[in-house]
Amino acid sequence: MSTSVTHKIALCLIAALITLPMLAQEQQERKVTPVKPTTNKVLTPPKGTSEDIINQYLTGDTAQARAKERKDSLAKIYPRYPKLNELRLGLNFGDLLMMAFGQKHASVDVSATLNMWNRFQPVAVLGFGRAKDSPIDMNFTYSGKLSPYFKLGANYNFLFKSDPQYQLYAGVRLGMSAFKYDVTDVTVNNPYWGEINQSYELRGLSANALWGELLAGLKVGIKGNWALGWEVKYHGIFKEKKNASGKPWYIPGYGTRNGNWAFGISLFYTIPLNRDRWPVKEDKNKAKQANQGNQDNANQVRPPIKN
Amino acid sequence: MRFRLNHSMCMAVLMAMTAALLVPSCNNDNCGGNSNGIPLAAFYEDGNNVTITNLTVYGIGAPNDSCIITNSSVSQVYLPLRITASSCQYVFNYNTEGIANDTITLNYDIIPYFESHECGAMYQFNIKSWEFTQNVIDSISIPKPLITNSDVVTINIHLQ
Repeated sequence: MSTSVTHKIALCLIAALITLPMLAQEQQERKVTPVKPTTNKVLTPPKGTSEDIINQYLTGDTAQARAKERKDSLAKIYPRYPKLNELRLGLNFGDLLMMAFGQKHASVDVSATLNMWNRFQPVAVLGFGRAKDSPIDMNFTYSGKLSPYFKLGANYNFLFKSDPQYQLYAGVRLGMSAFKYDVTDVTVNNPYWGEINQSYELRGLSANALWGELLAGLKVGIKGNWALGWEVKYHGIFKEKKNASGKPWYIPGYGTRNGNWAFGISLFYTIPLNRDRWPVKEDKNKAKQANQGNQDNANQVRPPIKN
Repeated sequence: MRFRLNHSMCMAVLMAMTAALLVPSCNNDNCGGNSNGIPLAAFYEDGNNVTITNLTVYGIGAPNDSCIITNSSVSQVYLPLRITASSCQYVFNYNTEGIANDTITLNYDIIPYFESHECGAMYQFNIKSWEFTQNVIDSISIPKPLITNSDVVTINIHLQ
């Protein structure tokens, strides 16, 4: 290859190296970056904003609109039920159910619960209990006479923000009962002395007891004002009458002294109080439709809410 | 996280709990003591519990002259009380030449007593007084005169 041809190629390369960056720079300068305007921003109202608030914004009463908006959002997060929210009447029938499965004693009671703020719930209970058992392979018949019992206490509803139909609660109770019982058909054997089938009866024994309960419960609305409830209780006797003939096996309202755990199933009827002051229950479908409507209105009207 | 209950969830929990409730629960059917009130006597020498060898004990008036223990080495012995009389007598035969028998008499009240559903009904005894001969026995003490079905020593027999 001659020297002149080599020179020409070198010159072409140099020219290319100089012109290519210039072309590239020209290409870059042609790009346009969109700029977001920061002034006179037009906002749409948040989803679920009521028509009143939108109108207040439109009429320029922004302070009132903002205050109402804040109140509405607080009510959504923390719905406040009135002080006297509902009166609940209950029938505890768990022991009747258990008797069908062979249990030899039953305590049935009616309760009145005042629901305050859907949170604190003082409870009063009045019931009757009885027992009759002749255990197999044992030497006696135990008869607890039908006797009354009373309980006073309170519940705390953990789901106080939710519909009162559904409640998950913990509670305390103080119970008391005075009752009578018989121990009959007793046979005692003393084989060494040849004393076989010696019998006696203990009739008209009286006793009383004071006890406490810690409980957890669940209440579920089933239809209209009717609800079902389930409770598990841990209980213990604080004080009872000492009796020379022994301690009673069964205490009305407490159950047997075999263990510290007890259960209850109740049917409730609820009488709502101050219904007009309850937080408005949000219907999801309606809310959705309303949101859709608001969105359409907002798109049409576009209230001038400025930042 | 916000906890919410819905109807079907609540009903499911309620049904499960009701079913659990209807399953027969475990029950402690064991009686921790005896089936009747019965005194347990223990032998002491210089304050220490001792074992007596070749001891025979029987109650006076027991049917067929039956013995409570015969030629046994024991440190404790049950002394069943009569439930048709308020007094009992027991003979302690040491089966050793030259040592005479001892006789213990217990006088008591009989108390019909309902212990518990597991142990049943029985008798308790309240020991009012006691007498004894002093051939081997030095003294008898009964710190707690109420005899229950508890399996504990209630009569302390101190030997010479």
